[in-house]
Amino acid sequence: MLEIPAQIWQRTKTSYIWRSLFRHGYPDSRKNQSLAVFTNVFLHLHPVKVRRHALAIPYTWCMGGLSFFLFLVLTLTGTLLMFYYRPTTEWAYSDIKDLETVVIFGQLLRNMHRWAAHGMVITVFLHMIRVFYTGSYKPPREFNWVIGTLLFFFTILLSYTGYLLPWDQLSFWAVTVGYEIARATPFIGDEFSFVLFGGFQLGPNALLRFYVLHVVALPLAVGFLIAIHFWRIRKDGGITGPL
Amino acid sequence: MRQDSVVRVDKRVEDTAMVWPHLLVIEFIAAMLWSIGLFVISAAFNAPLQDHQTPDCTPNPSKAPWYLLNLQELLLHMDKGLAGVVVPTLWLVFMATIPYIDRSREGVGIWFTSKNGLRITIFAAAYATLLCFSLILLDAFLKAHGYIEFASEYFPGGKQLLPNYVIPIVIMIGLSVLLVIIVQRIWDANTREWMIAIFTGFISVYLVLTVVGTSMRGPGMDLFTPWSVPATSQCYAPHG
Repeated sequence: MLEIPAQIWQRTKTSYIWRSLFRHGYPDSRKNQSLAVFTNVFLHLHPVKVRRHALAIPYTWCMGGLSFFLFLVLTLTGTLLMFYYRPTTEWAYSDIKDLETVVIFGQLLRNMHRWAAHGMVITVFLHMIRVFYTGSYKPPREFNWVIGTLLFFFTILLSYTGYLLPWDQLSFWAVTVGYEIARATPFIGDEFSFVLFGGFQLGPNALLRFYVLHVVALPLAVGFLIAIHFWRIRKDGGITGPL
Repeated sequence: MRQDSVVRVDKRVEDTAMVWPHLLVIEFIAAMLWSIGLFVISAAFNAPLQDHQTPDCTPNPSKAPWYLLNLQELLLHMDKGLAGVVVPTLWLVFMATIPYIDRSREGVGIWFTSKNGLRITIFAAAYATLLCFSLILLDAFLKAHGYIEFASEYFPGGKQLLPNYVIPIVIMIGLSVLLVIIVQRIWDANTREWMIAIFTGFISVYLVLTVVGTSMRGPGMDLFTPWSVPATSQCYAPHG
């Protein structure tokens, strides 16, 4: 019975096309397990082997990985939301309403984006706490900690810029609080808030600026910093552990 | 040139595991569980959406998103620029410089570094939580008893200089320095250990401010117990 599927599988695995995609056999031997990791663009961020200590969930809480996971979820759901949303004062609110009432799975999409965003603020914060209390900022990881604090800051900014976009009472007045704070910046308050919000009150310019920051500028900056962050983790010997 | 990371990385063969399958399985399961969890939460709870914004109708209180309510809470106790811009900026800069101040390699990869570290963490958390909460209560008490009027009349510089600048700055720096001195006296703290104290103190204050700002501030940003906060009035007419 199973001979035919087995034959097809065998044929497929030895075919020219398959071997152009995967340059190793099924990863059940050490050699193929190693090849599976370092010949795969998505997995090659990992080393082939890690210290057993690094697998301990009570040690890492998985929080760094989960922050990255939520970042990917947010990128995906955010891109889908962009198909339905126009960042103008005429359309922003009604587009969100349409998402909730007209677009199939639109409400679920928006909910996922919203809760994942809250989740990412929490996971990044917990990741930072874990890294601090385990002394993982110590040499040679000093600069990676600096990048981490920047990523924490950018996570808050990403969340905050997204908060304005529904253009409802909640978002408008919440961001007004931030606007008042920006205006209170010593010495350059007016100039700073004018550049950030595009005027002396929250209007169409602020909405457009926050949108561009939210979907282009900040995600690019975060993606760039994440790349450096991960690369340095590898170069510094992976996740910390007792010496 | 020193080849730091090459010299420092100590990977013994015997305590290593293959990434495929051991690490990837954990990552896969974590991603699956969180995906399912996110689906369930998103199916159960809708993201909030209120009426279309209107500048004529100010909700009372207007609150920032919860992760910024710590700053909004801080605004109530000192100058806006100080609370909203200067303090967080200085804190971020200080955080970034932690590894350049605490340069020892003691305790890498060990939670709290040592038993002392754990004791200091607990002490600093209690110290900061109690003090921060007491100061918020004291502020509310004083303001309810004519503090601002008193300051305007008798303090040099009126209600601005001392209440909005000098007193908060002295309290923030003074209590931090006091914390470091205490842990140095009691536990003979080294750099890593007093850094734990300061960091824990900050995290505790951050959490207290977030909790108070989120669940204890009602209309007019007045202080309430969490179970008696009145509902936000959606359209507050300042002159009506």
